[in-house]
Amino acid sequence: MATAELSLKLQASSGSKIKDFINANLINILAALLFLLLAFFLLYPIIAVLLKSFRGPSGFTLKYYQAFFSKNYYFQSLYNTLLLGVINTVVCLVIGFCLAYMTTRGPWILRKPLKIIALVPLIAPPYLFALSLIILFGRNGLVTRMFDLHWQLYGFGGVVISQTLAFIPLAYMMIESTLMSLNPNLEESAYDMGASEATILRTITIPLLAPGLLKAALLIFVMTIAEFGNAAILGGRTPFLAPDTYTMITGESDFNMGSVLSVVLIAPCILIFFIHNYLLEGKTFTTIGGKPVASEPRKITPLIKVPFVIITTVAAGAIFICFAVVFAASFYKILGVTNKFILTNYLDFTSNQAIYNSIRVSFVAAVIGAIIGVLLAYVIVRGKFFGRTFIEMVSLSGFALPGTVLGIGYLLAFSAPPLKLTGGIMILALNCVFRFLAVGVEAGISKLHQIHIEIEEASADLGASFLTTFSRIVLPIMFPAFIAGFIYTFMTAIVSLSAVVFLVSPGFELAAVKIFDAAVYGEIGIASATTMKLVLIVMICMMILNYISNKTRLGSGIAKKPA
Amino acid sequence: MKKKGVAGYMDSEENEKPMLILKDIHKFYGTNEVLKGVSLEVKRGELVTFVGPSGCGKTTLLRLIGGFTDISSGDIILDGQRINDLPPNLRDTRICFQNYALFPHMTVAENVGYGLKINKWPKGKTAARVRELLEMVELEAFGDRMIDKLSGGQQQRVAFARALSLEPKVLLLDEPLSNLDANLRLVMREEIRKLQERLHITTVFVTHDQFEAMAISDRLVVMKDGRIEQVGSPIDIYEKPANEFIAGFVGYVNFMDGRIVSIEEKTRDAVIATEYGKIGITLQQDDINHGDDVLMVIRPESVNISLDCGGSRQNVLCGSLKTYMYAGSIAKCTVTIGDRTMIIDQYNPRDAQHFKHAEKVEVEIPRSVHLLKKKK
Ligand SMILES: Nc1ncnc2c1ncn2[C@@H]1O[C@H](COP(=O)(O)OP(=O)(O)O)[C@@H](O)[C@H]1O
Ligand SMILES: [Mg+2]
Repeated sequence: MATAELSLKLQASSGSKIKDFINANLINILAALLFLLLAFFLLYPIIAVLLKSFRGPSGFTLKYYQAFFSKNYYFQSLYNTLLLGVINTVVCLVIGFCLAYMTTRGPWILRKPLKIIALVPLIAPPYLFALSLIILFGRNGLVTRMFDLHWQLYGFGGVVISQTLAFIPLAYMMIESTLMSLNPNLEESAYDMGASEATILRTITIPLLAPGLLKAALLIFVMTIAEFGNAAILGGRTPFLAPDTYTMITGESDFNMGSVLSVVLIAPCILIFFIHNYLLEGKTFTTIGGKPVASEPRKITPLIKVPFVIITTVAAGAIFICFAVVFAASFYKILGVTNKFILTNYLDFTSNQAIYNSIRVSFVAAVIGAIIGVLLAYVIVRGKFFGRTFIEMVSLSGFALPGTVLGIGYLLAFSAPPLKLTGGIMILALNCVFRFLAVGVEAGISKLHQIHIEIEEASADLGASFLTTFSRIVLPIMFPAFIAGFIYTFMTAIVSLSAVVFLVSPGFELAAVKIFDAAVYGEIGIASATTMKLVLIVMICMMILNYISNKTRLGSGIAKKPA
Repeated sequence: MKKKGVAGYMDSEENEKPMLILKDIHKFYGTNEVLKGVSLEVKRGELVTFVGPSGCGKTTLLRLIGGFTDISSGDIILDGQRINDLPPNLRDTRICFQNYALFPHMTVAENVGYGLKINKWPKGKTAARVRELLEMVELEAFGDRMIDKLSGGQQQRVAFARALSLEPKVLLLDEPLSNLDANLRLVMREEIRKLQERLHITTVFVTHDQFEAMAISDRLVVMKDGRIEQVGSPIDIYEKPANEFIAGFVGYVNFMDGRIVSIEEKTRDAVIATEYGKIGITLQQDDINHGDDVLMVIRPESVNISLDCGGSRQNVLCGSLKTYMYAGSIAKCTVTIGDRTMIIDQYNPRDAQHFKHAEKVEVEIPRSVHLLKKKK
């Protein structure tokens, strides 16, 4: 009896030493583990791509790069991609600016509806627009047949249009938030001093918005050159880097050339990521004592009003028509060709199977992603170890990485032992986790910045161990960020196409890939119905997210009431 | 106080015409009526201050005058011209927003010269005018600075200079001092007032600070809930408030109920019966009659307080000291009289007697006390 007690005590004391050590260093241990994960699932695949691009059958070689830069076809592909990026960025910025200007400065009654329309594409996978363009302008398209039009949809023009529509909300959101943060009194002061609307735009609004517009431009540029779906579906014979990578791998099984294309695609993305995050950091104008107030509508001069209204109406109309067309097409085998109203598209077994698979993959990705996101946010904000900013940078870099690159990277890295993941649901889920980590991490970081470290210190002061503090204090406060990370990862993963298209195995189809295939093979009805299902799922996710952010003020939560 | 009459401005008929007339202005935001019939005439060169609690519609009124918000009904007349429908850039008014709204991407000189540039002044003339304005606000050395490199007080001056650059007919100032700390606020308000008088510029000033309002203005307009409660000189507002709200808003006040029991017609001497005895006063107002129920407005500093409570002299009430707070230039006393508490300021307490807690004191109500007629 007595000895048993003693040994128990001894055990406890030697155990407590280890425990103390772990307690004192837990955050560093955690950081190390997370870093290993990032290194393994994010850095390693990219390095694998880089290595592959230099490694021929007989070791190091530059011949693949030589091939890239000497062949006209590849050069054309690069040129097209960059040109697409530039055009898209400019057009999206202009449309986004007009929309944002109207929803923040225009008449009250237009603000809400315009905002909704501008944001609606968020609920759609980007390739919805490619699909709707096929329905309207494809070889059997509604408009094509109705007006006997011979416009060649498949090619540069089609890709530009679908991409532009897909990226309007992103441009709008970023520009709107900078416009909202601009103290309306500044423009009013200029107005008061005799400046006309156009002069105010030129001398006050745009100069003050410039840093924000530049940031938005860089982000849109990166996203559009990396976007896969629209270019792959509508590109036709026009080469673009992202779909070419795909053809290179799936068509010709040429991993070396595929890697070279990836490296060429990733280079501008990484460059821009650095400019965006480090050169432009903090480059915004601050004004004094300005509380965010909704601007009152102004009498906008026709010079401004007419072009703005035209651009806004055209954009809003196009977005609306695209949705309507896909919705309609989901009830016909091929809208415009067959006239029988059917529901079988929604009941299609392979489509539903693909949706089910997508939900499973996205769910797993969301759980893992949310956990890793919260933990990463925690070590980034609270940690004091060397390399903290590096971890932050890596974990936020996912959005700048083209999906196709990470797709090939995963194929190269995880298709052979010791870590053979290909063919399962895990590789798909992990791929999504690390690509879409940024938002979860950022939500976590912003939530943590709202908690004073004193709360945790007070808890520790009362004798609570690190783990107790973490689970009792930190986790509950972080919970909204966790949920946000979860839902965001889920809905992004479920529509994402560019990386998973490399990783799906036969017999385990995902919804996005199903839509892609169906669109390419002209099964418009199935593609549309599957798209509508995804739209519905994303819409529900958005509503939950919106509800949570209103509830917990996770979002900006600006008090709009003027004082 | 009445500086206007001294200068020769009031002579010609032209100058007698008000610079700004507000006629029965109403403003609705949705169904929320924010301004409920505001009427006022502002004379040339006058500084009129709208003062009232936060949310009473002061900023809205300024925005209406400046043209940033549509008026729901009523008229705004600037120098004889109806300007209801003119946009801000065509109105000869200039506004200084509460947050200054200085352009952060421009230098001080560019800010001040913005209006000149917009109005296509020639370069040389603009530069000279900017220099003149910067000298006026004592910032001549700061022309090349960026805005965020200035202190709050300096920013305030830049905003002021910018608003004055085009010599507007009416200057609108929305709580211009509210972002400054207390000492600077006193300095700046004197400067603004000096400049305003020197330039003889018609100014509508808005503040929620009643002391600032009294110190700076020719006339005060006390607002509450979108309505004008009283218009008058600072002295009028303070000494002869029209109602309890104003009396309480422009300073601390003790109220005491009573009834007029006699009025001597010739001398206007009157006696008020209160629950603490009779108070003799000299009536200042004509609208008070025998038998009226009144409320005496007793300012803390108008009351004499001293020790002892011996004989019952007229107008002297006895009480006991509840608290005595020495604050250098004054001492704040609270005195219990019967079941009511009065706040009394004792001036120059260094030379006066210092009181102790619970001591018996006597309180002398002045004969000039202002009365509010109670509604029957
Ligand atoms: N743009 C607006 N839309 C709706 N209500 C407003 C707006 N601006 C002011 N208000 C309301 O009008 C009232 C008066 O506001 P304001 O003029 O700013 O008051 P003050 O400047 O006296 O504090 C407040 O109740 C405010 O909520
Ligand atoms: Mg105000």
